[in-house]
Amino acid sequence: MDKKYVPRITSFLCKWCSYTGADLAGTSRLQYPTAIIPIKVMCSSRVDPVFILRAFLKGSDGVLLGGCHPGDCHYETGNYHTRRRFAIVKTVFESLGLEAERIRLSWISASEGPKFARVANEFTETIIAMGENPVKKKIFL
Amino acid sequence: MSRITLESKPSDGVRELLRHLLDKGKVSAVLAPRRLDDEGSLDLGFITDRSELDSIDPFAPVMIANTAQVLSMITPSSSKIAVVLKPCELRGFVERVKREQGTLDNILTISCTCGGVFPLQKAVDGITGGMTANYYSDLSSEKIHAEIRETCKACEHFIPINSDVTVSLVGEKDLDENCQIYLNSKSASELLEGLGGEIDKKEYDPAISAGLMKKRLAEKERLFNSVFPGKGGIDAVIEIFGKCVGCHGCSRVCPICYCVSCDFESMNFDSDIAYYEKELSQKGALRLPPDTMLFHIGRMIHMSFSCVGCGLCSDVCPADIPVASVFKRTGDKTASIFDYIPGRDLEEAIPVMVFKEEEFSRFVDE
Amino acid sequence: MGSKRNSVLIVGAGIAGIQAALDLAEMGVEVHLVEDTPTIGGRMPQLDKTFPTNDCSMCILSPKMSECARHPGIQIHILSNLKNVSGKPGRFKCTILERAKYVDPVKCVACGLCEDKCPVKIEDTFDVGLRTRKAISRYFLQSIPAEYTIDKDKCLYLTKGVCRICEKTCEAGAINYEDKDREVELEVGAIILAAGIDPFDPIGFGHFGYHRYPDVVTSLEFERMLSASGPMGGHVVRASNGKEPKKLAFIQCVGSRDEGIDRNYCSSACCMFAIKQSIIAKEHIKDLDSSIFYMDIRAFGKDFDKYYEKAEKQYGVKFKRSKVADIIETPEGKLRLRYTLEKGTTQYEEFDMVVLSIGLQAREANQRLSEDLDIRLNEFGFCRSERFSPLMTSREGVFVCGAMNGPKDIPESVVSASGAVANAVRFLDLERQGLPTADESIPEKNVIGQRPRIGVFVCHCGINIAGVVDVKDVAEYAGTLENVEHTEDVMYACSTDCLDTIKKRIEEHDLNRVVVAACTPRTHEPLFRETINEAGLNPYLFEMANIRDQCSWAHMDQPELATIKSKDLVEMGVAKSRGLQPLERLPIEIDPKALVIGGGLSGMTSALSLADAGHQVYLIEKEDELGGNLRNIFFNFDDKDPQVFLGDLIKKVSRHKMIEVLKGAEIEDISGYIGNYKTSLKAGSGKEGRLLDHGVVIVATGGEEHKTEEYLLGKSSRIVTQVEFERMLHEKDFPAGKLKNVVMIQCVGSREEGRMYCSRICCSKAVKNALELKKVKSKTNVYFAYRDIRTYGFSEKYYTELRDEGTVFLRYTPDSKPVVELIDEDVTDSRARVTVFDPIMDRDVVIDADLVVLATAIDAPEKNEELAKKLKVPLNADGMFLEAHVKLRPVDFATEGVFLCGLAHSPKDMDESQAQAKAAASRALTFLNRKAVLAEGTICQVMTDRCSGCSYCESICAYSAIEVDPEKLVAVVNEALCKGCGACVASCRCGALDLRGFTNQQMYSVFDSLDLVITEKVGD
Repeated sequence: MDKKYVPRITSFLCKWCSYTGADLAGTSRLQYPTAIIPIKVMCSSRVDPVFILRAFLKGSDGVLLGGCHPGDCHYETGNYHTRRRFAIVKTVFESLGLEAERIRLSWISASEGPKFARVANEFTETIIAMGENPVKKKIFL
Repeated sequence: MSRITLESKPSDGVRELLRHLLDKGKVSAVLAPRRLDDEGSLDLGFITDRSELDSIDPFAPVMIANTAQVLSMITPSSSKIAVVLKPCELRGFVERVKREQGTLDNILTISCTCGGVFPLQKAVDGITGGMTANYYSDLSSEKIHAEIRETCKACEHFIPINSDVTVSLVGEKDLDENCQIYLNSKSASELLEGLGGEIDKKEYDPAISAGLMKKRLAEKERLFNSVFPGKGGIDAVIEIFGKCVGCHGCSRVCPICYCVSCDFESMNFDSDIAYYEKELSQKGALRLPPDTMLFHIGRMIHMSFSCVGCGLCSDVCPADIPVASVFKRTGDKTASIFDYIPGRDLEEAIPVMVFKEEEFSRFVDE
Repeated sequence: MGSKRNSVLIVGAGIAGIQAALDLAEMGVEVHLVEDTPTIGGRMPQLDKTFPTNDCSMCILSPKMSECARHPGIQIHILSNLKNVSGKPGRFKCTILERAKYVDPVKCVACGLCEDKCPVKIEDTFDVGLRTRKAISRYFLQSIPAEYTIDKDKCLYLTKGVCRICEKTCEAGAINYEDKDREVELEVGAIILAAGIDPFDPIGFGHFGYHRYPDVVTSLEFERMLSASGPMGGHVVRASNGKEPKKLAFIQCVGSRDEGIDRNYCSSACCMFAIKQSIIAKEHIKDLDSSIFYMDIRAFGKDFDKYYEKAEKQYGVKFKRSKVADIIETPEGKLRLRYTLEKGTTQYEEFDMVVLSIGLQAREANQRLSEDLDIRLNEFGFCRSERFSPLMTSREGVFVCGAMNGPKDIPESVVSASGAVANAVRFLDLERQGLPTADESIPEKNVIGQRPRIGVFVCHCGINIAGVVDVKDVAEYAGTLENVEHTEDVMYACSTDCLDTIKKRIEEHDLNRVVVAACTPRTHEPLFRETINEAGLNPYLFEMANIRDQCSWAHMDQPELATIKSKDLVEMGVAKSRGLQPLERLPIEIDPKALVIGGGLSGMTSALSLADAGHQVYLIEKEDELGGNLRNIFFNFDDKDPQVFLGDLIKKVSRHKMIEVLKGAEIEDISGYIGNYKTSLKAGSGKEGRLLDHGVVIVATGGEEHKTEEYLLGKSSRIVTQVEFERMLHEKDFPAGKLKNVVMIQCVGSREEGRMYCSRICCSKAVKNALELKKVKSKTNVYFAYRDIRTYGFSEKYYTELRDEGTVFLRYTPDSKPVVELIDEDVTDSRARVTVFDPIMDRDVVIDADLVVLATAIDAPEKNEELAKKLKVPLNADGMFLEAHVKLRPVDFATEGVFLCGLAHSPKDMDESQAQAKAAASRALTFLNRKAVLAEGTICQVMTDRCSGCSYCESICAYSAIEVDPEKLVAVVNEALCKGCGACVASCRCGALDLRGFTNQQMYSVFDSLDLVITEKVGD
């Protein structure tokens, strides 16, 4: 029996936009890989940048962060803060030579079911092309 | 603003200056490095008794504790205090003030163009005494002293930013009888009126130390390129931090780590036995205690953009991890995406407290 | 005489009745919901999916049904009819007849044993005869109330005096053959009729072979076949041979748009219904070939045309414009359709199955109701209402909603229901409600310090989940997780019996946390929270795993992986639930004033409704005059002058002491939250700025006429828009004395790239204006260039009338649009030469027109974007405001306290705008009529001993809800202002902040619990 590696992508989705968009993708029966594991948060700004790091170090093959488009945040400015924090995490990853492509921030609105499916498909493809997160096999973390 | 020139050793000149401030009642206390013996042992003295001023060694090339942290303990102060500190300590304190951990009100800051400091271990071993002669001649000739810390060798912020008083050391000739004191603020001019010496209207000119700046920048590039084997990556990160014993001394001495207690030591990161069992079943082995990488990289995410490169973290690391070099290297990048220079300006907002409506599109799928 | 009553009687418990009941109950009004059948729910439970979002019908309805059943202010009378009404509005005396149920609802546990044993099989009306039920039965599996009833005309004992098997079977002793019909007298302030509509019965349509050929079915039968909970479990097969159909035909307008059978109206919903069914059928059956035979596709609602496009382009549904003459079964068992194309040629095509898209017709019961209640019906037997009072019957104090006064889809029914409520409250004695007092009979269990005891319920959702995910396996897996004390798989977690089961399990196993793995928490979390609360658990001790919308539906072809993912999601839910703590909700006071933005028909109607209910209203209008688009409307199908109506309305609004009209006003900023809004108006041009305090906002900003130069609009005074033409008709001032030929071009700007929506009213408007033109210039030739004629509902007969007048209808397609040329380029009033390809004659028709009238689209105002940002509410792709839910929350925004109506929502006619305006008012009243509502429990908290007072949080919070105390130097949260977004929590370096319900520890445990090494088996 052959076994194929199935990536796991920890996906933090804001309740008002991206999570709703993901629901819409489902309601529209748009298909995407099971790699996407959704975690509902009230706002993308609830996602402490350390969440992203922790998920990555725990071996998530990818970490997706979904928020409302700029200006659409249900909490006014949350996604702007998300974007800055994400820029920091990404820069730290880049500076250390960690695979920064494994972390991704997307703006997905409540009506963008197709976009959610597209991001889910694309990101999974990217991750599959990169292979398993090497961190998964590291003992000393 | 203005400059006072004294015909004395800079350290004598500064002691003179401090004596003047205390004698005239212009400050109520002085916070400055204090010599404990001739071998080079030091501490930070908080002094009101003028007789104690003799033991002050204002520019001793050692950092025994970070003055920025100490200042948080003694501010806000109801009366004026004079503080002698390194440029990085001052920048560190500005970062702390931005985080409401103290205030620059009622503080007279006295700093110098800094030649760097010796590793703490050398001071503890009491061997710095013998190296200082060489140190001062290197200052004059704008050389990077061979024995100072790696981070100091690569520091381009050796000219104090925002100090009330700057004593010029780097590139100054005849340091045995030449003390150049720049008064950068109105309060400095007022407080030091009547000190004596030659006074002229002159501001500090970076050209005085341009030679060292060039060398430092080159050294910085060399250091940052050599911190990581190859392009980095998880293996490289593990190689560097693999020696960590988990004492978290680096965060304890860090001027930017102002938290009452570190988040990474909180219960948030505790895992239960079932979790370890699961990890074990997947990996076959684990190292305990866990989360070493989380701590270090997490700390970079928390504070690297404010890292002033003071180097104390490396100093205190029992495992000789080049913490400061790695953090400063990453910090330079995280700060630069915001055009931020830690400690440059009290009015400059901490990057994570503010935002612009349009920025960083390269980090997002829009 | 006595004062007004604070109660309302509603006839009919379909979605309209339910919505009206819930709105009223929220306002603190006592509601009697009188329903003829044994359950509430009406037609929606029979539907599988709803257009245009393909939402599962039962999924969205069932929370509302449950809410209705649970609400203490709503009394449901099943198997009941309203017999007689006397007295006056405000104090009606009603007699209702409650028929005998023969089962004691208190004792019945709905176990179903009786039905198993009952020997009498009868046709199941819910499944439209596709299966049988017993003489004792439950109407359908999610019916509310859940209790069984006996059909007395079929029961052996009640008819022949023998049997009594059910009585012997029933362990609860609930059977009561002695039950009697009884009359109940009620006093109510107002009556709302929501008695619904019936599907057309095509039994007389012999030429289509219905009932003769087993594979000819009605759309309602087909819907039950598609339904996962239906008689075929969602697996559509031909009745003739039990095989999946490969070729499917839909025949439109069966029983609609048919003068011959007295159905000269359009049933409005069937086109979308057929499109939906063809999409869903294609999802069910691989490579299904599906054709729709139609006259016009009437996809006129919000986002309907996009759905139509999607069906054609993405799903490959074939649309065939034709008339089907008859159907004959071939010897091979195929159904051969004979149909005529536009050109007149006859064609034949064979199909495996034919769906008759049956129309909607007035209920027979309307006749009796009309007599008993003394209300008038229209020519087609629907309850009669007028265009300018769309929700009123001919009797004062009696209102109508839903499809009872004309065919409607679900959102329109919901809108009309809320709208009827706004009308009814005028006759009620409303009193502002205080906070609900806690139910003392269910004391909250103290779980603090207890080890988590978690119950996990995994929902099949019919086959929505179970069709992909191995639900039993997931439930079993849940049982292996730490702290999980109980686990079970359930058919529909949201059904009332399952909710009861959950409560029972909480008791039995002493559970202190509950996890439900089902659909999405966005729709169902409130229901489950309330349920566990009824079992004595704090509602926040609940967690949901989304294994449907974000798992089974998204991974339909990967059942194994979907099952693994479901297990992960359940495990993550369990991990999170371990850390759940009971939370409290703070009261938020409601300022009883309202802000209505927009002084057109909708805005004024809303304002008036709110003011009549006793609330202060600020009505702001950007222009210096009230009236909006209605100022340009001069004619109406039923002779009433719109300008007279408008004049009256403006007078009422301007003189109302509770309404302050602010004309020429521009909004500077809107801040605040439900109950506590502050809106500042800009100062300027002699006006002072204003700061208005209010509790709610109604958005009624209207629409704009599409600006275009297409068809040479603006190049000649003889090329005009319908709006301009209507004014000409009114002023009898045409650009030319002689109007020999007038060409009307439809869909100018609508239904094309960039504006892929139907402007809805243009067809009726053009027909109306053409008829007006015929009145003044009877010899004028009118040419009508159109894509589909969309005179839905009762406007159809005017289209027929116009056709009978000899108007030439020329259909064009977007790739061969009419061409307009100026005949004399040098003059400003040039006649125009219009060339249209006529598919009937199969050639170009050239008309030298004295007047070309363009039906320009309705655009969303550009300023919508600015307002949307200020209000923090979304717009759809077309720039129109996007409601909270297109079906069941059509006038609400996701943001509490903000509502929408009129053209701001989407293009619509005057009567529809009014209904929606009233609906928005009614929804607003559900808040305004309460002194306070409860804030969320998921808010920020400070661990003071960890706080360094660094003020990161203070600078980040958008609501100024957290500040560093200058004395104590630690952060302090204003719990009334905190929205619970968690932005500050994630900014806190010190770990001093946390978000209740989403704590750091919980979040870490959630993704730490994720199993990261998954491999998929490939091959064997």
